[in-house]
Amino acid sequence: MSFVTSTPHGEDEHAPSTERRDVLVAVSGLRHPVVIVLLLIAFFSAIAGKPLDGLLMLLVAAGLAWKARLGPGPAAELPPEGASSGSRSRGGVRLAVALALVTAGVLYAAAVGSFIRFSWPATIAVVGAGAGVIVIGWHGPVRHRPVPGPLPRLGAGLWGGTLLAGGLWELWSLSQQPSLDTTSWAHPTISALTDPLLASHPGRSLALGVWLLLGWYLVRR
Amino acid sequence: MNSHDLTVGGYLVVLAAFVTLQIVGLRGKAPVPTLGTILSRIMRTRTGRVGILVAWAWIGLHFFAQ
Repeated sequence: MSFVTSTPHGEDEHAPSTERRDVLVAVSGLRHPVVIVLLLIAFFSAIAGKPLDGLLMLLVAAGLAWKARLGPGPAAELPPEGASSGSRSRGGVRLAVALALVTAGVLYAAAVGSFIRFSWPATIAVVGAGAGVIVIGWHGPVRHRPVPGPLPRLGAGLWGGTLLAGGLWELWSLSQQPSLDTTSWAHPTISALTDPLLASHPGRSLALGVWLLLGWYLVRR
Repeated sequence: MNSHDLTVGGYLVVLAAFVTLQIVGLRGKAPVPTLGTILSRIMRTRTGRVGILVAWAWIGLHFFAQ
C-alpha cells in the first residue's frame, strides 16, 4: 500500500527533482535512432582502434540526448536574406567573409595535406575542423533555407535503395579482405581505392578541400 | 574480367545510379527529389542535422585521423 503525500505547495514529494527529471528525459533521448547509430559508431570505432572517432561520436550522441530534454526542436530558422534594410552593405560584408573563408580553406587544405595521414598533426587538424563545423551547424543553417515538404516515396526509396546497395557492396568487399586491417587487391574497399590519391600531398590537399566544401555546403542547408 | 574489375565496376554502377537520380531530380519531370532536397528535409530537425554533419565529420576522421 502506498501513500502519495503533498507539500504545502501542492507538489508531490515523491516526484523526481528537476535535475533528476532532466537526466531521465535525456536518457530517454538515447532511444532516438540517430543517437543509437552514433553510439554504435562510437563503440565500433573504439574497438577498431579509433578512440578519437569514438570519443567524438560519443560526445555528439550525449549532446543530442541531453538536448532532447528541450524537445525535438526543429533547426532554428534564420530570417530571409535581404529582408531588412542595409542588404547592400551586408552583401559586401558577406563577400569579404566568403573570401576570407575560401582563403582559410585553401590554406588549411594545403597545410594539413602536407601532414602524414593518421599522424597526430593530421588528427588534431581534422578533429578540430569536424568539431567546429558540428558546433556551427548545431543550432541551424547559417542562412535561410526553405524547408521542403514531404519527399515522394518512390524517389526517396530509390535514393535510399542506391545508398543501401553501395553500403552493402562496400561491406561485401570488406568481408573479402584477409583481415580488417589488410586490404585486398581483388576486392578493394573505397578506402583502398582512394589510397593512391591520398598518398601524395596534392592528393590529400585536394581531398581535404572537397571535404571542407562539403562541410560548408551542409551547414548552409 | 577479374574480381578487382568486378568490384570496381560495382562501385561505378552505384555512382552512375546516384548521378542518374540527381539528373532526373534536377529535370523535375519525375517524382525524384534531388540530393540537396533530401538533405534539407533530413536536416530540418536537430537530430537529423547533427546526424548528417557527424557523418561528414566521420569521413574526414576515417581517411585522415588516427
